[in-house]
Amino acid sequence: MPEPGTRRVAITGLGAVSSAGIGAAEFTASIRAGRRTTSPISGFDTTGFPHTHAGEVHDFDPAAWLRRIEPARWGRSSQFAASAARLAVADADLTESALAGARSGSVMGTTSGESAVIEELVSAWAADGLKSLDGSRVGAVPAGRIAAAVNSELGLSGEALTLATACSASNYALGYAYDMVASGEADYMLAGGADSLNRWAHAGFYRLGALAEEICRPFDADRAGILTAEGGVALLVEPYDRAVARGARIYAEVLGYSVNCDAEHMVHPDPGSIASCIRAAHRSAGVTPEDIDYICAHGTGTRTNDATEVAAAREVFGDRIPPISSIKSMIGHTMGAASGFGALICCMALYEGFLPPTAGVENVDPALGAGVDPVAGVARPASPRVVQNHGFAFGGNNAITILGRAS
Amino acid sequence: MSTAIAEAAADRPTLAVLPLAVTAVGVATPAGLGLEALGRAVAEGLTGHPEALPGDETPPPRPVRTVPDLRTEELIGRKGVRHLDRTTRLGLVACRLALDAQPDPVGERTGVVLGTSTGSIRSSSEYSMETLRQERPYLVNPSLFPNTVMNCAAGQIAIRHGLRGVNATLAGGHLAGVQALRYARNALRQGHADRLLVGGVEEFSPQGAWGWHLSGALDPQAPVGEGAAVLVVEPQDAALAAGRTALARVLACETGFAPRERLAEGLASVIAAALRRSGKDPAEVTTVSLGCTGRTGLDRVEESALGLALGGALPGQVVRVKETVGECFSADGVLQIAAVLGVWQHEGRTHGGTAVVTSVSGDGLVGCAVLDTAGSPG
Repeated sequence: MPEPGTRRVAITGLGAVSSAGIGAAEFTASIRAGRRTTSPISGFDTTGFPHTHAGEVHDFDPAAWLRRIEPARWGRSSQFAASAARLAVADADLTESALAGARSGSVMGTTSGESAVIEELVSAWAADGLKSLDGSRVGAVPAGRIAAAVNSELGLSGEALTLATACSASNYALGYAYDMVASGEADYMLAGGADSLNRWAHAGFYRLGALAEEICRPFDADRAGILTAEGGVALLVEPYDRAVARGARIYAEVLGYSVNCDAEHMVHPDPGSIASCIRAAHRSAGVTPEDIDYICAHGTGTRTNDATEVAAAREVFGDRIPPISSIKSMIGHTMGAASGFGALICCMALYEGFLPPTAGVENVDPALGAGVDPVAGVARPASPRVVQNHGFAFGGNNAITILGRAS
Repeated sequence: MSTAIAEAAADRPTLAVLPLAVTAVGVATPAGLGLEALGRAVAEGLTGHPEALPGDETPPPRPVRTVPDLRTEELIGRKGVRHLDRTTRLGLVACRLALDAQPDPVGERTGVVLGTSTGSIRSSSEYSMETLRQERPYLVNPSLFPNTVMNCAAGQIAIRHGLRGVNATLAGGHLAGVQALRYARNALRQGHADRLLVGGVEEFSPQGAWGWHLSGALDPQAPVGEGAAVLVVEPQDAALAAGRTALARVLACETGFAPRERLAEGLASVIAAALRRSGKDPAEVTTVSLGCTGRTGLDRVEESALGLALGGALPGQVVRVKETVGECFSADGVLQIAAVLGVWQHEGRTHGGTAVVTSVSGDGLVGCAVLDTAGSPG
C-alpha cells in the first residue's frame, strides 16, 4: 500500500445523460458544434409561467441504459446518475467484475436531490391530503439514493456518498474521489452529479429575476439570466499507474482542487473568496496562473455571476485571463451536475484538443473589462495542457478542480 | 467473526487513521438543549418531549418527539431569522451551543460538514405546493427560496460565525453521521480547514412524519423525532498542541454498501475494518450505540452484524438514543455519538471507554464509527 497522497489520479471513463445527448461522444459533439439544446419544457405543466424553456432530457428511457436496478423504484435523478455511471464504466473499457471486485465506490453531487419525486408526492398532497402519499414512493425521496443507485447498478461495495453542496457539488465530488484514490482508500471511484427539472426551482429562479426567457447568454451584454436544466454525469477515477498498466485511455489527470466558503451571503458570490479558492486550487495542483490554458466557467448567465467570476479571475490572472467559456449557454444550468459536465468537457478538451465554446455571444459585455475571451460560437482547435473548472454555489460554496493533459 | 468477513476485512486498506479530537458538543434534542440533558435522559431511560409543533397540517396518529424550547432568538439573535426554517434554526442553535462550550473562539479557517437527507422537506414541499395553489405558479415568496436548497443550513452557519473553510452538506440520511466524520477527516488532512463543525440535523414536520408513517419503515410504536447535534473536531495532535482538552477521540469511520439480503454481513465487515483501523480488539469494545432502534427489520440486522463482528453478545453498555429522541433520520448518526459522550459524561467515565457506532440505510449503505475516551492510552 502506497503512502497517503502519493498516487497520481487519472480519469478514464466518461458518462453523460443530458439535453445535448446521451454518452460522452454525443455530448461532446453537440458542445463542440455550439449547438443549443435547451427547449420548451414538457416535464411539468408550465401553464401560467411566463418563461417556459429549460435544458430538459427529452425521451429518456432508463430501462435502455440500466441493467440491474429497477427504474420504477428510483427517482429521476438516481436514474440519471446510475445511467451515466454505467456509461462511464463502459467508456473506460472496464468489466463489471473487475470494477465490483476492487475497492470501488461512488460520490455524486446534487442540488435538489429527487425533486421530481417530491413534486409527485406534493401533487398527491394537494389532491387528497398528506394521508394520501404513496408509501412506496416515499422511499425514493432521500437525496442519498443518487449515489446508492450508482452502487446498486454497478454492484459496488465501497462507499456511496451524495454531496448536497448545491451547484458546485460535482466538483466537491470529483475532489473527494481524487483524495480517496490518491490516498489509497479506494481503487476506483465514480464521481459526478445529477439533478431533475422541477417546478419549485423554476418558480423560485423566476421570482428572483434570474431566469432567462429562452436563451442563456453568459458574458454577453444582452444576457438575461439562467435556464434551469437537468441531467446526470459520471467520471471514472482511478490510479494513473494502473490506468497505464491496463492500457486504458486516459482523458486527463486530476492535478488538484480546492473548496472554500464565502461566509458572506447566501446568494451573492464574493470575488475575493473565489480568487482565494483559485489560488488554493493552483497550489494543490502545483501549477501557477501562467500554466492555465482555459477556464470552464461557472457562467450561469446572470450579470452578477459574470461580473464576480471575471473579477475573481482578474485578481489571480491580472490582465492575462485565459479563454473562459460557459457550456451553460448550450445545456442550461444542470445544478448539482453542472460542474460535473464542466469536468467532462474539460477532459474532452484536453484529450481531443479544443476549447469549448460559449454559444450565442454576439457582444461581449464591455463592463467586464478588457481581455475576456469567451470562445464565442463554436469550439476552437487548441492544445490545452492544464485547465481549470469552476463550480460556485448557493451558500457561498466554491469548488475548483484542475485537470491536466495525460503525459 | 466468520472467515468470509475476516477475509473481506483483510482486503481493506490498513492506513492508520488520523485520530480526531472532539473538543465540544452542541445538541438540541427532545431531551432539551445541551449534552447534559441528553446524557441524563439516555442514561436514565427518560423519553423526550412529546408535543407536535404548531402548523396547518395534522401529523399522523403515532408518537412524536420534538425539541421543547429552541430559544432561537436568545441563542442566535433576532437579525435575519424570520425567514429561516426549522432545519436551519436547529442547526444554528446546535452550533451556537457547541461553540459556547469551547473555551476559545474558532478562527475563520474553520469549516462545516453537515449531514442531511433532503434538507427541510417541509420547506421544499411547501414551496412546491405554492406553485400549485397560487393564482400564478410563480407567485412564490422569493425570500423563502433559499430554504428549499439542501445546503441552506450549512451556508447560514458559515455566515453567522464567519467560517471560511470547507462547507459541505452530505445527503446521507441514516449514514450522514459517519459519512460526515469520514469527510471531515479527509478535509482536515487535505488542509481545507483547521477545525470543523461536524453535525447532523433533522426537523420534525407533518410532511416527513406522514412519509415515515406510510412507508412502513418504522415500527408502529416508534416515535418520529427531531434534533441536531454538532461536534467540534480537529486533528488530535493539533488539539494537544493548543492545549485543548478532548472529550473523546474519533478513530476509524468506515462505510460500505451491500445488497439488502447481505446487509448484516456488509455491516459486520465495516465494523471489523473500523476496529482494525482503530487499533482496537473487539474485546475492548465497552459500548455500542445503535442506529436502527424502531426501524422495521433493520434493528435485527444491526444487532446480528454487531454479534458477528464482536464475536457473540453485545457489550455491557448499549445506547439506544432513539428511545429518547425518536427517529431523527439524518441527525441519528451524530446524535448516537453525542449520546455516548453524554452518557459517559453522566457516569463520569474519562478512561477506558471504546464505542462502536453503527448506521444502516435500507438502500444498502452501511457504516461504523469508532470512538474512545480521550484518556485512553494510544
